[in-house]
Amino acid sequence: MTIGLQIAWMISLPVVMILLVAVVFTGISLKVTARIDRRYGPPIYQPVIDLVKLVSLKTNVSHGVIFDWGLLVAIAGSSVALLMIPMGGIHPLSGSGDLLVILYLMIFASVGLGLSAGASENPNASMGVSRKLMLGLGYEVPFILILLAMMTYHHTTSLVALVAAQRATGVLGALRFPLSAVAAILIMPALQGVRPFDFVTAPQEVASGPMVELGGKYLALMVIEQSLHTAVILSLMVDLFFGGATNLGIFILKMTGLFLFGVLVNAVYPRFRVEQALRYCWRWPTWFALGGLIMAMVTKGG
Amino acid sequence: MLESIVIIGLVAPFVVGLSWRWPRLRAVLAGVAALYPLIALSVLYGRTIATAYARIPFLGTELSLRLTPLSWLFGIGIATIGLFGLIYSFSYMKGKQQLGLYYLLYLLVNAGMIGVVLSGDLITFYIMWEIMSVATFLSIGLARGQALPAGMKYILFSIGGSTAMLLAIVSLYITYGTVNIAALSAAMSGASVGYALSILVLFSVAFGIKNAVWPFHAWLPDAYAESVTPFSAVLSGMLTRMGVYGFLLVMYGMIGLPLVQRMTYGPVGYQIVLAWIAGITIVFGVFTAVLHDDAKRLLSWSSIGHGGYMILGLLLAGTLNLSGGIFHVINYAMSVSLLFFVVGAVEYRTGTRDLTQLGGLKERMPVTFIAALIGVLGMIGVPLTSGFVSKWLIYKGLILGGHPFLAFAALIGTWGTILYGYKLIHNVFLGRMPARFEEVEEVPWGMRIPMIALAGLIVLFGILPGIPLRIISLIETSFGVSALPTAIVGAPSGVGELNLLNILGGILAVAIAMYAIFSPTARARRAARTDTYTAGAPTPISGYHYVSHFYDPAERIIRPYLTDWCGVFYSWVGRQANAFFNGARKVYSGNINTYALWIVILLGVFVTMNLLGWRP
Repeated sequence: MTIGLQIAWMISLPVVMILLVAVVFTGISLKVTARIDRRYGPPIYQPVIDLVKLVSLKTNVSHGVIFDWGLLVAIAGSSVALLMIPMGGIHPLSGSGDLLVILYLMIFASVGLGLSAGASENPNASMGVSRKLMLGLGYEVPFILILLAMMTYHHTTSLVALVAAQRATGVLGALRFPLSAVAAILIMPALQGVRPFDFVTAPQEVASGPMVELGGKYLALMVIEQSLHTAVILSLMVDLFFGGATNLGIFILKMTGLFLFGVLVNAVYPRFRVEQALRYCWRWPTWFALGGLIMAMVTKGG
Repeated sequence: MLESIVIIGLVAPFVVGLSWRWPRLRAVLAGVAALYPLIALSVLYGRTIATAYARIPFLGTELSLRLTPLSWLFGIGIATIGLFGLIYSFSYMKGKQQLGLYYLLYLLVNAGMIGVVLSGDLITFYIMWEIMSVATFLSIGLARGQALPAGMKYILFSIGGSTAMLLAIVSLYITYGTVNIAALSAAMSGASVGYALSILVLFSVAFGIKNAVWPFHAWLPDAYAESVTPFSAVLSGMLTRMGVYGFLLVMYGMIGLPLVQRMTYGPVGYQIVLAWIAGITIVFGVFTAVLHDDAKRLLSWSSIGHGGYMILGLLLAGTLNLSGGIFHVINYAMSVSLLFFVVGAVEYRTGTRDLTQLGGLKERMPVTFIAALIGVLGMIGVPLTSGFVSKWLIYKGLILGGHPFLAFAALIGTWGTILYGYKLIHNVFLGRMPARFEEVEEVPWGMRIPMIALAGLIVLFGILPGIPLRIISLIETSFGVSALPTAIVGAPSGVGELNLLNILGGILAVAIAMYAIFSPTARARRAARTDTYTAGAPTPISGYHYVSHFYDPAERIIRPYLTDWCGVFYSWVGRQANAFFNGARKVYSGNINTYALWIVILLGVFVTMNLLGWRP
């Protein structure tokens, strides 16, 4: 890839992903959920209307510098993480960070959001962040075990190499690491923050938690950040378990499939409480992930 | 030059202590004493020196000092943290009692540490170690009150460790007839595995206690939490890490890695056993920190946990691990000293360090807030802080070395760090400010400068980790293990994918682009502090600040698993010893009548025995 093309992808890839998740995926999810509820549902372009409205609102309320820049930094962290994840052969920044760096850039984004919410001086926001970090602790246990299984088996920490290994052998990660794949499916909703794990941002819980003080362009920024986060999670899963893709189109198709799974779970399950979510994450998903790791260590051989 | 560092270091504290009548002179002298090792060591960069300074005729051995890349790195760390702590003390300690004694002990502890890292033989090493330990004991006790038992706990553990170390030194001297570390290093390459292991285990007890490795951690939380804050920074930043220095010196510098790697019996070996202990230390220390609401106690437990990362790094002996472990000493020292300075600053202005009593100070104390933020980010190891690079090296080394479970302990420890790090930042600086803090001001410049400097270093080494890593590869060369190839902005292509300049560029570019796109479209109104959405719930005018039981659901689940059985055991031993000594005090009451009574009873026993005709 030439430098020019790389830079072009660096700029366009986050934009593409934001549009994909924030507009297309959200539109689809509204429609699908509505049909499950036997409603007609909003038009498929409803997210566009919402975003345009948010950005063009005249009243924007800020709570200071940290409030503003926490959000911006979170978006930046997620964007850079996205550029390190190979998407159908496109990975402009993968030379600057491996899977561990991606994991840490996700933390970077969480911390940015936490700071922004904390700076809003609203106890509901603080409560939301506390719940968000606890949920992180919950799903991170199986998630780390899943990643370790793959990194140990293939003896690399590079995501590009993990994808290449699946391509070279023709065996998808989901087949090579079946137990890890089960664990991953079980914690996918937690990683995405959808039901049954939406106690962080659910409006009925703590007045939308970290988002309580966000309005106008700030809410638009939050939507962008959440879209990026979802894109990071989906593309990571596609790369780890479904062999990535040879071009961006197929990659996006695979992402769509995974996203629809999340939409279906979100539509039919009730919400966990925080401690229920923690206990859930630390039981079956962790056992499966642990089994996957042991299996990877046993079958590694030479 | 080396002698001058040690001699000035050991004499200056007493000169400073004696100048109690002239505070200004004392400050100048203390400053010079703290600055001198920094300058001298900077001049000596990259050199390896060994000098004999005295000869002990009756042992037939020479006492010597030496400078190696390892001692240079630790020495410069000690001198830097020591200097910052001193500058901080000038403002922080103003108007406090017993200042002469405080400065005396503060400088003596630093001199002891410098002496430890510069000693070329085990006798000097032991003497310096004891100077350091005893001075520390006295410094902890300076704060009085709860600090006295804390200091007692520290010195009891410390004596236990020193005894083990002394045993090892005597044994080495008897076996090889020398205490010179370089000579021992040559002699021990031919030692039997069993003997080397016993020596290593004895030293490990001493260094494990100093580095507060589980199950020897029990002294640390009290000692850190109760001592004077600038001293807590030195204690947690460098003094505890003398244990890591000791491990490095004995494992790599004296016994040598090949011999250590042969210490295995089937699947069990010295390295792997201690690595698992380090793993336990990480998880136990870090998650206990999450449960605490006293800021200094929280940081103390965090120190225990992060000590585990260092031990984990240096034990498993891959180049990545070792570099990460050594680098983490420096990074954690910067982060935790900075955070102790922050907690001290907050306490200085508000009078409390209880995380449930503070809040919203970010606008009242902006410099302290930014320092706290960078300190916490460095402790978590967020990219663009130096803590990230060392943790990245440790993780990568563990994964590629085939230790996924230890890697898991290290990775999940980071989530624990996020939990307590965010709690620390949030409860003190974010959220709603209680009305009584309206008048709080930023701390004086004397306290700001060390915080700004440390925060700057954390970011500098986070973006250009090649600067310290170059010294670390010198250390590895001096140990005879393969050195880490370094690049100034991350990892060279042979090591892995990490380029922090690109990450920085990417993050800045995106953040500024988003700002540029969204800022002009609609100018934001700055909301008043009380102007928040309460979802229709009635709230008092001052509002609420969510601080108490910050992670309650998680705490309730993990708390039962975090019972400190070792601490319980030590307390039990303490109580039993207390009861025994109380009993003994009844016998040795100091009253002549009691002693007369004992004599009469004894005579009576003899007479009775005689009358019964029982003669042994």
